[in-house]
Amino acid sequence: MGLIRDVKVLTGGRDWRGRSRTPRSAAAHEPPEPPREFPTGWARTQVAQAARRVLQRGVLTPLTWSQTRPEVQGRERLDALKGPVVFVANHSSHLDTPLILGSIPQHLGKRVAVGAAADYFFDARWRAAVTALVFNAFPVERHRSRRLRSLAPYLLAKGWSLLLFPEGTRSEDGWMSPLRLGAAHLCVTQGVPIVPIALRGTYAAMPRGRNWPVPGRARVVVRYGTPLHPAEGEGARAFNARVGESITQLWAEEDLGWYGSLRAQARGELALPRGQQFPAASWRRTWESTRPLVGRAPRRAWRS
Amino acid sequence: MSRPGFVLEVDERTPALLMHEGEGFRLEKLPLGSRVIYPPESLPGLRDLDAQIRHALANPLGREPLHELLRPGMRLTIVFDDLSIPLPPMRTPDIRQRIIEQVLELAAANGVDDVELIAGNALHRRMTPAELKRTVGERVFRSFFPHHLRNHDAEDKANLAEIGTTRHGEVVEINKRAAESDLIVYVNVSLTAMSGGPKSVSVGLASYRSLKHHHNVHTLRHSKSFNDPPNSAMHHSYNRMAGLLGDNLNIFQIETTLNNETFPDYVGFLNKREWEWNLKDQAAYLAFKRANDLAPPKHRRQIWHRTAAPYGVTSVTAGDPIQVHEVTTRHVLRQQLTEVDGPADVGIFGLPYICPYNVNSIMNPILVMSLGLGYFFNLYRGQPIVRPGGVAIYYHPVRNEFHPVHHPSYIDFFEEVLAETTDPVAIETKFEEQFATDPWYIHLYRNSYAYHGVHPLYMWYWGAHAMEHLGDVIFVGGNRKTTQRMGFRSASTLDDALEMARERVGSSPSINYLHAPPLTMADVR
Repeated sequence: MGLIRDVKVLTGGRDWRGRSRTPRSAAAHEPPEPPREFPTGWARTQVAQAARRVLQRGVLTPLTWSQTRPEVQGRERLDALKGPVVFVANHSSHLDTPLILGSIPQHLGKRVAVGAAADYFFDARWRAAVTALVFNAFPVERHRSRRLRSLAPYLLAKGWSLLLFPEGTRSEDGWMSPLRLGAAHLCVTQGVPIVPIALRGTYAAMPRGRNWPVPGRARVVVRYGTPLHPAEGEGARAFNARVGESITQLWAEEDLGWYGSLRAQARGELALPRGQQFPAASWRRTWESTRPLVGRAPRRAWRS
Repeated sequence: MSRPGFVLEVDERTPALLMHEGEGFRLEKLPLGSRVIYPPESLPGLRDLDAQIRHALANPLGREPLHELLRPGMRLTIVFDDLSIPLPPMRTPDIRQRIIEQVLELAAANGVDDVELIAGNALHRRMTPAELKRTVGERVFRSFFPHHLRNHDAEDKANLAEIGTTRHGEVVEINKRAAESDLIVYVNVSLTAMSGGPKSVSVGLASYRSLKHHHNVHTLRHSKSFNDPPNSAMHHSYNRMAGLLGDNLNIFQIETTLNNETFPDYVGFLNKREWEWNLKDQAAYLAFKRANDLAPPKHRRQIWHRTAAPYGVTSVTAGDPIQVHEVTTRHVLRQQLTEVDGPADVGIFGLPYICPYNVNSIMNPILVMSLGLGYFFNLYRGQPIVRPGGVAIYYHPVRNEFHPVHHPSYIDFFEEVLAETTDPVAIETKFEEQFATDPWYIHLYRNSYAYHGVHPLYMWYWGAHAMEHLGDVIFVGGNRKTTQRMGFRSASTLDDALEMARERVGSSPSINYLHAPPLTMADVR
């Protein structure tokens, strides 16, 4: 009896191999494993590029264009531009990237890599693989929580144009946030021009939280601005301010027209559209940013 | 590298934990949330020990090298710690043997003829010739025994010398041969932070007249703890006496410290943390426990007492007693100290089969009390692991058995004194004089192998601080009558003990378990 009791006490809490789990307070401290960078080099190979062209031209762009009514303006400003460049846009929807990729002039659009949040798009391997394949995305560290070495300078050096969203995340309420310095710093140090892009109506078409555009083919506008080259001796901060002004003007062009927006900017009436005219947390912030874009009436297929 | 000590918090993953209980052990499942204080893992022992000893003797702290202190015609006395340390006794060759042999080599080389070796046994029983031989080695024993290798006799009035009186009126009286020597070389083994340093000569070679100044209830109640010398009234007294001795005698101290390799390989699981036991450890546990439980008590005791610890030596330091002891204490604490976050309502202690006074003998109930409420309770720095008014739960069978040769006065103390009172102060006032001066006990101490008549009282004082501090003392598995005689209670299981403790500490008390041996000293913040 004694032996059986001893065996029971001894084996209690141990597995069939006689191993016990280590009590929590006795477990040695293990520093968290440094994050492993998801390799994206394969997504820039010839084969992947061909696959991506098929996916983008055959699926992504037609789908986006079928669910929204995009209007692309200012594309002619890029005609004389040669890559690599950095496209910089405001960001309020998952529609932004397909709209831009689908509207970039072909001579630049062949070699575009998209900066995607490392903590969002690259946290699961399957999501990272899909994002890298479809968008040619590369991970961007936005919270500095992990010490990833940025791929951006390397990609620029290899002749890839980049699409970056310097706000760092999609807008919560459709209005813009201050632009972070990363993109401007990159362009100043690498001597690469920035192409400012303003997207209007994408928040109303597919705000945060939706995984499909709103029904009814909402009108969205992709407006390309004049490429900005960093001036000799210009710092990243000053260059970033110029980029901000340019995006602001492109944003206002929707409401004031091209010339009107230029005049307003000259008068100093424009500021980054952060919805400052509405109190913080007011319902009117979202109300205004989800207002459908007024514009030309849809062309009727059949004239009566 | 050895891992530091730590406090385990028992969770649902924690297996049953090892608990010593006299000449046996068991696995016990502790309540969730109990904290278990583990010592640092055993530190690596010194590699070339003989070279280290040679180096220490040639490069002492605050003294000239030993060979410069030795000259022809001088009187050299080598004193060594008796068999009360280390526990369990270490594997031969004993570290004392290795040191004494080197000291004697130097003495021989420098032409010293008048050499005496004395065991610093104070009021402990005399060491038998076999025990002396085991401690100092065959060669030393053969050269010096019986006339020049002997035990200290604290009752040989003709061979005691009074050195003086401290400013607190403490008489310092020690062995005359040592007092009249040109050089005393003290060879020490420091197993705990309480031993060594000022305690060595002032206690090891002292008489009752001298010992009573610090071995008393008042001093022990103000030693919190006696393992933390700066806060120990007992050590303050030792220091005063050692100061006096230092002014009058020429003492060359050699101190050593041991690691925590307390048990030999075949019971290696006793040295390991339970969740790290492999199949071999578990099989050894089952086999050893079954064999131990089934063995006749006499054989069981023999087996345990034949166990020799494969201790590694972590430091050898020689020179001025004060400077040497600072280094030694650092080494002891490095091996034993574990930081604990505050005391608990209940303290649990598993008492092993051995204490300083039952080497090759029987652990009688008084010794169980002194081991539990004295030694183990006082293994702390700062504050005890049990809060004031809390409950201490000990694991020990507390059998009513005594060694009639080694502990004769213990039997009378247990039967007569404890039947009347268990209050240390009352015992001290009423019975100390009688036990200390009883001619029969003195005769047995001097001529047989008995502990001095006053020794059981000292053991009782040893627990005076714990008795004052604790609200209740419960022995799991303890003999009901014996524990009751000593003023304690017994329970058959831990659950019962906690149930009994409920009136003091409530139904969900916090628990600290001191996981010893190997020795653990709690640094309670």
